[in-house]
Amino acid sequence: MYVIFAIMLGLLVPYCIRVAVGPSVWDRLLGVNLISSKIIIIIILYSSLNDLPFLLDFAIFYALSGFIGTIFIALFFSDRDTKKGLGDRK
Amino acid sequence: MSILAYIVMGIGVAFMLLGVIGIFKPGKDFYYRILVACKIDTVGLLTLGIGLAIYHGISFFTGKMFLIVIMILVLNPFVAHIVARSASRSGYDSIGDSTDVDESAGEK
Repeated sequence: MYVIFAIMLGLLVPYCIRVAVGPSVWDRLLGVNLISSKIIIIIILYSSLNDLPFLLDFAIFYALSGFIGTIFIALFFSDRDTKKGLGDRK
Repeated sequence: MSILAYIVMGIGVAFMLLGVIGIFKPGKDFYYRILVACKIDTVGLLTLGIGLAIYHGISFFTGKMFLIVIMILVLNPFVAHIVARSASRSGYDSIGDSTDVDESAGEK
């Protein structure tokens, strides 16, 4: 179980690279979404390893708020003409 | 019983590690990446969740884990769809340049 926990921690690095490298906003958004779901897995594994069942509530709440945040950031960036940069909303 | 749990979790972790390659594939556009990313996310969490549920047997942990797995199963593709839609509506990295007609521009 600890091996999986370590692998999950190690997996965060490529996603952070994806966020840093990502050519466009949406790549970064994708990276953030991935990181948040990896953190959920880390919380779940941590609560399973140390037998703390109440930590799962944090995982649920964090999953919901992470997704909602990503949704609204994505909606903020939609309908924008990428050539003109911050084009106005069509 | 825990052997089965470890097998299921191993499959999940294997999926995730393979998925990372999909994200960093050169020469693929954004839509390929988001497809791969969404899939490995959902599959990874699903298998890990089921593995942990098997490992912990019938308990509160399994109940909460079941809730998380169902929630992620529903939410993750939904978020990936919204990100991809906002990217395609903004004309980022449009897939087929041949279809210059932007169908979704009409309905507003």
